[in-house]
Amino acid sequence: MRCFGRQCRGQGKIFVKLVRQTETQLLALGDSIAALAQEAHQALQEAPHLSAAKRERLANALRTAQEAHQQISTQSRQLTQGKKLPHCKIVNAYDPTIAPIMKGKSNCPAQFGRKPGIMSEPTAGFIFACAVPVGNPTDPSYVVPLVDKVQHAIARVGGPTTPAIHSVAGDLGVNDAALRQALHDRGILSVGIPKTVEPINPEPSPADIGHLLNEAGVHRKRTPYQVQLACACGYSRPVVESHIATLLTRGAGQLRYKGPHGAVVQLGMTVMAHNAAALVRIRQQRLSKRAQKFRRLLGLRCRKVN
Amino acid sequence: MRLLRHLQHWLRGSGPRLQVADVVPKTNSIRQWTDTFPWAKLVEAVEQSCASRFPKRAPGGRHPIPTRVLLALELLKHEVGASDEAICERLRTDVAVMYACGLDEVQLDSPQEHFVLPETLAQFRSRLDDALMDELLALQAAAAMDEGLVSPAHLLVDTFPAEQGSQRVTDATTLYKAQKKSSNSSCPSRSTAPPEQPH
Repeated sequence: MRCFGRQCRGQGKIFVKLVRQTETQLLALGDSIAALAQEAHQALQEAPHLSAAKRERLANALRTAQEAHQQISTQSRQLTQGKKLPHCKIVNAYDPTIAPIMKGKSNCPAQFGRKPGIMSEPTAGFIFACAVPVGNPTDPSYVVPLVDKVQHAIARVGGPTTPAIHSVAGDLGVNDAALRQALHDRGILSVGIPKTVEPINPEPSPADIGHLLNEAGVHRKRTPYQVQLACACGYSRPVVESHIATLLTRGAGQLRYKGPHGAVVQLGMTVMAHNAAALVRIRQQRLSKRAQKFRRLLGLRCRKVN
Repeated sequence: MRLLRHLQHWLRGSGPRLQVADVVPKTNSIRQWTDTFPWAKLVEAVEQSCASRFPKRAPGGRHPIPTRVLLALELLKHEVGASDEAICERLRTDVAVMYACGLDEVQLDSPQEHFVLPETLAQFRSRLDDALMDELLALQAAAAMDEGLVSPAHLLVDTFPAEQGSQRVTDATTLYKAQKKSSNSSCPSRSTAPPEQPH
């Protein structure tokens, strides 16, 4: 695992002196890059045999490389002089969109990479939307774009009854007042997002349901039955970890394609393959008791496969 | 027939034709997995997106490999956990993979000297963009909702870490190279003059 920072597990050796010496040499070596880049830009503009499109493409590539070097050299000076780096630092010279992931295992070095987000349904684990943002944004910032994507998919359904999103459940990381308000404005319940570490009550009383509806301001949009299901869904939220585990077994834990575009393509294809497998399980009725019960409550049909 | 015409450089032959759907049993996992996709919509979306972003500059040239074959190979790759080379190789020999790629029939005595190259698959992948991936996922979700198999009523959201697995220069690599360079520079005689062999 590529990691950064203090080694808390294992016998890690940190060659601070060596890093400082190498850094000085590399910075001295890179001093001439700015002047060389200027010369290269001029030579590129004067090259008669290159087409305009090719010249523009090469100039862009050169500009990107120049900017990357500037960022890396600044970061390198800060790192070796004992100054604390800002949150999102460059960890890969060729891809500045990769960031340290402040998530996952505790008491071990932070991983480098990306933090994809998914929005799935709680029965068979069908994933409606996924997102691979640049850098390492906060968890609540994932929710509204994912909801938009699901609503985009819903808009494509051509039937007599259009499905709708009733509730969204998440972990304590997505507990944000602004996010709750944004969901309520769209008529979506946020009872599945916990406010404390205590588990959500899966069977709220009628008084509680009324209170939740009033609090969200969706009294006319959502029914008490939908609130009950939302609470049950919030209680069963950890099932999303199994959906993530399935994605990880398909290789989503290690992004092999190049750059942010490659990450989007790889995750998208993995999610689609996962969804197809989930649909096969639904068609064959190979679902857990909990999933079967939830599907019955949601009024989803199961086709009998002969 | 369209698919067959496009892949005829590979499927050419004069012997009996093998009906792929007859060979692959309905209980085959790849066949069941394949039958869940709304292929026509997915292929149309990919072709429309590519046609708008990469317009054909000149008429003529060889027919391209069908989008259905490339899309199916890319998806199947993630289903079976294969590499580009492995999945392209399986297309030559595995009838279930042929079914997944939408090939209806193949010639039994074809020489099979040509097949979809892994490079072609990588090129196809580079043409997919973020908007198109979202569109493909939306189409799949809409088809499943249309069938009444899934409902978006109650949704769960979560994030997970995904490590970038490219073998490129990282801090660890830089440090290793610097260490190696430092050790080489500290004892130059080793690199410049090899030790004499004892007689």
